[in-house]
Amino acid sequence: MTAKDKEALELRAQIQQHLVESGNYERISNKLAQRLLDEGWIDQVKKLTRETMEDDNTTNFSEVLKRVEPEAVSLVSANTKNEIMQQIKAFLCDILDTQ
Amino acid sequence: MTLGRDAMTPLTILSVSETIYHNLLTSMVQDIVSRTTSRQQLQDARYPGLAPLHHDQRGALDVYGRPKPQEASVYFRCPNCSRDLSANRFAAHLERCMSRGARRG
Repeated sequence: MTAKDKEALELRAQIQQHLVESGNYERISNKLAQRLLDEGWIDQVKKLTRETMEDDNTTNFSEVLKRVEPEAVSLVSANTKNEIMQQIKAFLCDILDTQ
Repeated sequence: MTLGRDAMTPLTILSVSETIYHNLLTSMVQDIVSRTTSRQQLQDARYPGLAPLHHDQRGALDVYGRPKPQEASVYFRCPNCSRDLSANRFAAHLERCMSRGARRG
């Protein structure tokens, strides 16, 4: 790992800490959860999980997660994704401005 | 939550936002999968070999997947007034027969 990579990792860690401490992480997370509930994504993922458990005949968390996660991520509507991404970007721009 | 997943990609607002978004989303997926799998494990442990109930959109089959019996052909004796009643009238009869102020006998 070069010094530059180390620096990048450190910066990411700082951003993460700031995101959580400022309360923005919780705010954005709640907003995303509400959106996903409204558009039926939560129910879709629950159904997908149950179907995967039935098809593969397993209740092992990591095995089911491996199959469900990629599809669940792709099931999110473009609208919701864009809106949340906008909020995260706005937050990041804010920090850049203040620093 | 960790932002170290793709530390090697160049740091831009877009790449960091993508990582944060991805982390938010995957932690929700993990939450749902973990709840659903542990619930299933608990159910399997408590009731091994439990078959899921049958669901028929048209309503012609019962929860065990068997055709529904012609209810009118089955008769029950009311334990309260000892009359024989058709099964599809039984609930309605009980409500009247056992309610307060019902005609006795």
